Amino acid sequence: MQRAALSKPLPAAFWLALAALSLSLAFYAKPLGEALSLEWLVDYPKLWIVPIQSQISAAMHWLIDEASFGLFTLREALRFLSGLMEVPMNLAIEGLATGLLSGTGSRAVEIFPPLSWIAVTVIFAATGHYAKGWALAFVQLACFLYLALFGQWHSAMLTLASIAVTLPFGVAVGLALGIACHTWSGFDRFMRPVLDLMQTVPVFAYLVPILFMFGFGPVSAMIATIIYALPPMIHNTTLALKAVPDELREFGTMVGCTPSQMMRKILLPSALSGLMVGVNQVIMSSLNMVIIASMIGAGGLGYDVLFSLRRLDIGAGMEAGLAIVVLAIALDRLSQALATRHPPARKTTSRAFPLNYPRSFLCVAVIAATWIGGNWIEALQTFPEGWQISTRQYWGELVKAINLNFYDQLEAVKLFFLATLLLPVKGFMLGLPWAWVIGLIALGGYKLGGWRLALLGTMLFGFILLTGQWDYAMISLYLCGVSVLLAILIGAPLGILAAEVKGFSRVMRVAVDTLQTLPTFVYLIPVVMLFNSGDFSALIAVTLYAVVPVIRYTAHGLDQVSPNLIEAGKMIGCSKWQILTKIKLPLAAPHMMLGLSQTIMFALSMLVITALVGTRDLGQQVYTALSQADPGLGLIAGLSVAFIAIVTDRFAAVAAKWLTAGG
Amino acid sequence: MKPAVTKLACRNIWKVFGPGGDRFLRGAAKAPSRDAFTRAGLIVAAEDISLDVIAGQILVIMGLSGSGKSTLVRLMSRLIEPSSGELIFEGKDLRKASEKELIEIRRHKMGMVFQSFALLPHRTVLGNVAFPLEVQGVGKAVHEEKAQEIIRLVGLAGRENCYPRELSGGQQQRVGIARSLISDPHIWFLDEPFSALDPIIRREMQDEFLRLQSEFQKTIVFITHDFEEAIRLADRVAIMKDGRIVQIGTPEELVLAPADDYVRQFTKHVVRAKVVSVRAIMTAPGPDAAYAGSVKATDHIEDIADAVEKAALPFAVQDENGRIIGAVGRRNIVDVLIGREQS
Amino acid sequence: MNSSHNRRPAHWSVAGGSTALLAAMLGLASPASAESTDPIKLTLNDWTGQHISATIMGKVLESKGLSVEYVQADYIAQFAGLASGDLDVAMEIWDTTAKQLVADGVATGKIEDLGGTGMKAREEWWYPSYMKERCPGLPDWTALKSCAEAFSTPETAPKGRYVGGPVAWGGNDEERIAALGLDFEVVHPGTDSIIFAELESAYQRKAPIMIWGYEPHWLNAKYKGEFVEFPPYAPECYTDPAWGINPDATYDCGKPTGMIRKVAWSGVKEQWPTAYDAIKNFQISNAEMSEMVSRVDLKGEDLNTVVDGWIAANSAVWQKW
Repeated sequence: MQRAALSKPLPAAFWLALAALSLSLAFYAKPLGEALSLEWLVDYPKLWIVPIQSQISAAMHWLIDEASFGLFTLREALRFLSGLMEVPMNLAIEGLATGLLSGTGSRAVEIFPPLSWIAVTVIFAATGHYAKGWALAFVQLACFLYLALFGQWHSAMLTLASIAVTLPFGVAVGLALGIACHTWSGFDRFMRPVLDLMQTVPVFAYLVPILFMFGFGPVSAMIATIIYALPPMIHNTTLALKAVPDELREFGTMVGCTPSQMMRKILLPSALSGLMVGVNQVIMSSLNMVIIASMIGAGGLGYDVLFSLRRLDIGAGMEAGLAIVVLAIALDRLSQALATRHPPARKTTSRAFPLNYPRSFLCVAVIAATWIGGNWIEALQTFPEGWQISTRQYWGELVKAINLNFYDQLEAVKLFFLATLLLPVKGFMLGLPWAWVIGLIALGGYKLGGWRLALLGTMLFGFILLTGQWDYAMISLYLCGVSVLLAILIGAPLGILAAEVKGFSRVMRVAVDTLQTLPTFVYLIPVVMLFNSGDFSALIAVTLYAVVPVIRYTAHGLDQVSPNLIEAGKMIGCSKWQILTKIKLPLAAPHMMLGLSQTIMFALSMLVITALVGTRDLGQQVYTALSQADPGLGLIAGLSVAFIAIVTDRFAAVAAKWLTAGG
Repeated sequence: MKPAVTKLACRNIWKVFGPGGDRFLRGAAKAPSRDAFTRAGLIVAAEDISLDVIAGQILVIMGLSGSGKSTLVRLMSRLIEPSSGELIFEGKDLRKASEKELIEIRRHKMGMVFQSFALLPHRTVLGNVAFPLEVQGVGKAVHEEKAQEIIRLVGLAGRENCYPRELSGGQQQRVGIARSLISDPHIWFLDEPFSALDPIIRREMQDEFLRLQSEFQKTIVFITHDFEEAIRLADRVAIMKDGRIVQIGTPEELVLAPADDYVRQFTKHVVRAKVVSVRAIMTAPGPDAAYAGSVKATDHIEDIADAVEKAALPFAVQDENGRIIGAVGRRNIVDVLIGREQS
Repeated sequence: MNSSHNRRPAHWSVAGGSTALLAAMLGLASPASAESTDPIKLTLNDWTGQHISATIMGKVLESKGLSVEYVQADYIAQFAGLASGDLDVAMEIWDTTAKQLVADGVATGKIEDLGGTGMKAREEWWYPSYMKERCPGLPDWTALKSCAEAFSTPETAPKGRYVGGPVAWGGNDEERIAALGLDFEVVHPGTDSIIFAELESAYQRKAPIMIWGYEPHWLNAKYKGEFVEFPPYAPECYTDPAWGINPDATYDCGKPTGMIRKVAWSGVKEQWPTAYDAIKNFQISNAEMSEMVSRVDLKGEDLNTVVDGWIAANSAVWQKW
């Protein structure tokens, strides 16, 4: 019955007519508006912009400077909190990078060295072995040796230290909130939009308030990272808890578990592998934030990237960027292996004490040996500079070679895209009267998802209009829209290849991880050198990043198709191609649709980066706000990005439902 | 024979799923028709169910999927809150029990076995079996010892330290059974415990179950969709369809007097000799007839058929006190076997 | 808790807070005039020149027996840290990019302007020397009137393409182009790395380019090129249309030069009076800085070695700070 209402076909002609009308309006609305003196329907008058920007700024200043609980101010409370968090943060930094220090500043004296490079490498390799055997141990070994060999060790350890503290903290908070969402549906409803905002408001939009509240330093970086990395942890917690089989829950009840016993002894342990997916995402998100964290005092690899590129040292930037990728891969593989690890059957141990824990014993032994030996042989403590190698000059030369030999061809490609795709779409988006766009959103929302969706879309886009961000938002929409389209065109075939061709999936996985964690800045500079700043470079940057979820979800969706159905297809006599197109792809479609919403989110999160190459979108507004210390504008522009994300996400979700129901 | 004591009684239990279902039911002066429910967008999972679970007996609730049998067993244990009706457990209304009392009752008086075993994947066999005692806060030494004992009892000695995924389906369900018995429950719910197992293993487990029952004499509610399993295990069987109980009776009563065509569909293919007792087919004893021997009234036909067939004379039928209450001859047995109405 | 004895009211870590409380209870106030033993936090932004300034300052302070800590910080984001006292000193704040931020901070009383570094920021349109052949008459700006097309790319042709600064830098280049009747289109990258990436690319191909260049920077050390000479800046040029060659427009002149300042948290004066004076007195010239920057960035010398060299050669200068 529900379904009948949903799948009542809307006449295709209706949508076609709307599209045609939009197209003609985009071109003729301006003269038409002038003729009828209805310009205000086309271009939103500046005078009507609601000046909430300065009020937000004032409110923010009040919150930061004056808000008080009587005995102490809000800021003092937050500073106290950040003082607390500084303790483990300093410990981690000292343990991994700087060594235990006595005193501060230049008077500091090292009283205990940090873990030696050998010790850290051995610890990770041993953990890899514990989690999945020799193959993973080898991966860990290779990753950490890379860091040592390419001279990234110190910075990498700083980055690792901040992740080592951020991770447990983020996981604990995410877990607690996830459990709360699972337990109280009211809280869940409240958290949902909050999580959307946390994930989509660009960090730059709230960077300055965070600095004021929590102080300049690694703790602020950690807070910013956690705000960004928390939503996937919370999502995964609620999902994993929901996925616990009913029977286990009933079993818990029948045994007489109290609610807390149920959570601690049944739900959480059973949901462990789902929870570890969340942990994994926190790790990846933290590594995504390395650059921004380095801008506010976390230092580490992110800072090296920025510093190198400021000197236009592409190679050094690339090496530091790849070190982030390597760290990401090491931590990702390790956490995934730990998540899926089956504890082996317990054996009654017969061996003597140190030997029944061989790995722990080895680690302790290596830590002790390198610590003591490091006093005489420096190489045991720090990787000798003489052994380091570098590829940095080659990267610059590679870009130069391409620039000198292929610039004209690249330019031709760029001009083709600009002329046939980018400029027409941009003109179209900017030509559309605002009233028409909002009307379309309301109508489409109503037809697709009912009055709630219509109301949501109208209100959120209304906010963008009223605060004067309309044109920036349209450019953002245009850039992201075209990038998403391109990402799908490129990513879907790659995802299919990854799922279909043996051996290719492993390569693809590394490529996708690299695209996700390599700081965009690293490849943005070469891209600008080859394509100049402008919309096309922005398009490349956004597409490269947005292609990640497309590939992932396509491959994952295809992998999930039941082998029974494929066998059935084979027995009917389908060719490989027919199996793919007639069985696998249709069945993977819902999963791929889920990926679409992620793709949009990824694309929108790159808006701040596109502003670097000169696009006049919301990202640029966020930047400008940051450099003019205008938290009001920052927040408005940030919220506008988030609102676009939310509206497109809701529309995509409804559209996906339509498509899968219809197909 | 001990007098029948009711352990758990359902009195007019209703369960309506759907928004506002309970209110709809309460608002109606008399029970609404099924159509009325459907029109209101509600689904009736249990309709006016009344039955007694007798102490020390096995009550099998049998029905096809969607008949509401799994819902019923969850209503009995209050895993699902009934929409209306009473649940009298050991003389007290279970529905009036507070959350705290309910936890105590479940910890000490109820046990349940699940269709997909519901073992905790992160715990060993020992950890799973000892889990209920751990939840009760019993000391580790005590609960491990008790768990070892019951693991031996279900034939899993030596596998205490295995994880569930290292066991076969049958072994996993043995763990489930051991776990549900460890706190010595007064009533034992088994929700299709053997449905997920292969036929041979299933039969083995049924034997195991009967052996355990002969040892413990538990009060049991057993859910199955397999009629053969039902009549093999049951003292009494309740047959469910569309949330209603169609018929309750001993296997023999069902086979000999199915309440309607629905029940008859199941009983039709049953090997009657296994179900029907001598008492049901005996004829009145002649004034001074000659007998080839004697059989008990409670014997199943299967057990006596050979002897009766070989003898020319009928056999005398004795009750539990040894009194002759009837006679049984070849003809009676043939009637049963070919399903001919008793002449 | 927030007693006057707590030296840094804005920043109290757990330990610091309780110590302050203890001190307050026992009446053990440290004499206000004494130099604090806490490290002075100097910020390190993401360009070499700034590192050199900060390191020179740090080494000088250390030689005066003070403790120094370097904190990596974003150029813009560091203002929040300076205002709250989490950071103490920023050695290179360019009037050309952060004048407003300094003014705002000083207005709140949380940030103190410690005056110029002796370096002058010059910013102007800049082109590589090979463009001189294609546009004779340069560096005089009037040459651009007739050869804008020489600076064009397929996207902007026939207009010239000018890679300006980030929008946040201001610069009024659109107005300048209109006022001077030039035929250029302005592109605004979001960060200066992008400007130099464009330059590097064009320079490799000897392709047309005009960028927003500035000094002190390694720009003129690495590339051959020069600044366009516009009519010299005067304050009236930006405010009075009648001034200058275009009587109807403002901005008919070049860009102003700007000071490069030292900016500090306002508590520095009280907490480290000696350091405060030394930082205020810090002076270095554009030439010295450019020389050091190109040694580090272009010749690959170690920054510390270069700075040590300057310290050794100029002890007479910095001893007086």
